[in-house]
Amino acid sequence: MELKGYLKKYFNFDEFRPGQQEAVESIIGNQHTIAMLPTGTGKSLCYQLPGYMSEGPVLIVSPLLSLMQDQVEQMMAMGEKRVVALNSFLTPPQKAKALENLHHYKFIFISPEMLGMESVIDRIKGLSVSLFAVDEAHCISQWGYDFRPDYLKLGEIRRKIGEPLTLALTATATNEVRRDIADKLLLEKWNEIVFSVDRPAISLALEKVSHFQEKQQRTMQLVRFLKGPGIIYFSSKKVAEQTSAYLREHGISKVMAYHGGLDSESRILIQQQFINGQLDVVCATSAFGMGINKENVRYVIHFHMPMQIESYLQEIGRAARDGGDSVAILIYSPGDEQLAFQLAEAELPDEFQIERLFTFLIENNVVYQDITRLEEELAMFCGFTDIQWRIVENYLSNLESVDYNQDKRSLLHLLDNRLKVKQSKIKQMLEWIHSQECKRAVILRTFNEKLEDRPENCCSYCGIEMEDFKETDASSDERPIGVDWKQDLASILLLSERI
Amino acid sequence: MAITFLQAVVLHIFKKINGERTIYSLYHLFQGKRSSQTIQDAHLYQLTPYFHTYPSVTREKLEKMVDRLIKDGLAAEIAESKVILTDKGIETLDGQLAEHPLPVFLNGWKYHQITDSFWERLTLLIQVSSNLIHRERRFIPVRNKRETLNWVKQFIREQGEDRYHLAERLYLELVTALDNENTMPELIVVRLSGFKKIGLTTMQAAEITGLDPARYHFEYLNCLHALFDRILEDPARYPLLNGLIKQPERKVPLTLSTEKTYKLFQKGYSIEEIAAARNLKGSTIEDHIVEIVLSMKGFKIDSFVPPEKEERILQAAKKNSAKKLKQIKERVDDASYFEIRLVLAKYGDAEWN
Ligand SMILES: [Zn+2]
Repeated sequence: MELKGYLKKYFNFDEFRPGQQEAVESIIGNQHTIAMLPTGTGKSLCYQLPGYMSEGPVLIVSPLLSLMQDQVEQMMAMGEKRVVALNSFLTPPQKAKALENLHHYKFIFISPEMLGMESVIDRIKGLSVSLFAVDEAHCISQWGYDFRPDYLKLGEIRRKIGEPLTLALTATATNEVRRDIADKLLLEKWNEIVFSVDRPAISLALEKVSHFQEKQQRTMQLVRFLKGPGIIYFSSKKVAEQTSAYLREHGISKVMAYHGGLDSESRILIQQQFINGQLDVVCATSAFGMGINKENVRYVIHFHMPMQIESYLQEIGRAARDGGDSVAILIYSPGDEQLAFQLAEAELPDEFQIERLFTFLIENNVVYQDITRLEEELAMFCGFTDIQWRIVENYLSNLESVDYNQDKRSLLHLLDNRLKVKQSKIKQMLEWIHSQECKRAVILRTFNEKLEDRPENCCSYCGIEMEDFKETDASSDERPIGVDWKQDLASILLLSERI
Repeated sequence: MAITFLQAVVLHIFKKINGERTIYSLYHLFQGKRSSQTIQDAHLYQLTPYFHTYPSVTREKLEKMVDRLIKDGLAAEIAESKVILTDKGIETLDGQLAEHPLPVFLNGWKYHQITDSFWERLTLLIQVSSNLIHRERRFIPVRNKRETLNWVKQFIREQGEDRYHLAERLYLELVTALDNENTMPELIVVRLSGFKKIGLTTMQAAEITGLDPARYHFEYLNCLHALFDRILEDPARYPLLNGLIKQPERKVPLTLSTEKTYKLFQKGYSIEEIAAARNLKGSTIEDHIVEIVLSMKGFKIDSFVPPEKEERILQAAKKNSAKKLKQIKERVDDASYFEIRLVLAKYGDAEWN
């Protein structure tokens, strides 16, 4: 059967999306592959299809629990039952059971921390993994914008499980980062499938306002004017909530805020309401949109500037998945970068916290293996946030021997480097904002690409016809809710002919 | 003066506590803290309906709320962190309650262990049933706990019935069990998901029904607890809904430490022996015994209090509406505080009124 035959058989699609076919061919040709495909092209198909075409399970390393959960749910919703997620959501008995039955699964999603455990590695060794897929592979590189120390161990783990055929997936990675991925995964030879980061269907707009209120007003104007559905991204939960409330107060009713501070029931419901078309707009933090498949998002507004161009691309990439014309608008007001710099600093533990940490470690003569058990105490004593704690814990628990003074110096050095990388990323984003040339060309240059075909509504520098993105049908099929609860209940549980 | 629903609840509780406990006892009550003290207080002051009914409350929010009440002259601080209602407070509360009575079916103590799991199972079962009758297999469940997903799958299989009958039976049971003029079933129904319809979040539900979020929350619980009352009164009539109620892991919900004491007591050990064996103070073991009496109807206390003394304590308690241990002790001077607490615990909430 031809490759497209398999595509039809397993996914019921007639055509591949850009890059998918090349990536799949490379893998079934038995070559290690680094694939950089733009967001929204269905990266997961690149390991699912080869998985169906070969014996043995596919092991997928995924850095974010929520993303992993979404992918597993989507696969299950498509009718694939042989899929499991191994991560810290599992209780010890659930984990034991999943490990015992591991050979029954075709697709095994796993968190890097779980994959670091010897007992898990031993179990996986016996499975003859057909493909080792690393999702969000840029996390392995210190030059990447989202470096995760626990990804560094993947190369060694890969060796331990018998160097299986490997696929590294990412949406955005510069040349430098791609080289680093191959290096850290201990790949000697590999094939690169690199697609342009350019999304010609998305027009790139930058707007400047002078202060916060003006920004909020402009956001409201845009939401009223633009054809939805749309996503508005914020760096702050509080401002996301505020703006969502502001929009609702001004009569834009189908809008909700989404962020990590909501309970899990609300998060699922809001996400599903948006997918289902019950909401037009979501005011979200970056937690929103990962792993959700919604084809027809027509605009993305950035209320705050993203911390790096890579996140900007990821976030605007949630628009135009159906290929229809869409617009991304970043609204900048002077001084916005201060929030970005503050967030970058707050993510990392500072010198004072590290001093306190080592004072504690020295006084109590703590061995690093015990550090996880001391989480609560240390987090309190040093004032670590969750993210800060994970960085520290990860660093120390990977050290072989203890030399407090040396380790403190090298940790501080590492943190200092991370901060500099983050700061330079923010500066790069800021340069893009202030650049006086084609916005698309500047982004492509960052990824060593050249702009070949300029789309019609390219960017705010080249000129955008905003009328092209205007909402034309103002129909609202709002159904009054709660008028008759018995009727509502019947419409859920009884077929219309039976009501 | 107008007060919010939550302020009314808080004032109502402070009125019952009457300055005998700190405001933090209210925090523990809302949180449903499983400590002997909280459990005993909930019974002593007849506040069991509110046990574990508002776990999202924080100390800071509570402190702020109390400050507000004091500033508005509705409550007064009589000692550190202890408040009573002012005359204005009592009057305002009575006015508010005449207009908006407190939820009558609320019963946190009885139902706190089953409420959340019931809601998770119910919402998922309804979504699955609705999609099943529309022959839609590709949908994302509104619950992501694997445990709940498996449970509902198993539950549907066990019914051994075709999808249409199952959905219809579910509808009929719900429409009967929810129908209650003293509750607002629409608060529940707007949150349900089904085929191509995703239910509302608590916040959206509050907004659309025009209730402030705290009031919405309590009315929603009230509705569920009324539903539980119905189901448990006549389980044979609501086999599906009854099946969704999680059987508590322990029949007697005791705190862990109390459980240990209980086991030793059953083996015939005395309080002193248990205290020695567990390396705890005698007074701690006494707390455990009081908790056991509160949790287990029919637990005999005559090995601790002679029946004749029990009767005298009970009489004194009846005369003494404040139920201060000290006042009861003044009337029955040969009784220990432990004996008095045991008797109060045994007769629960209502019986001495
Ligand atoms: Zn341009």
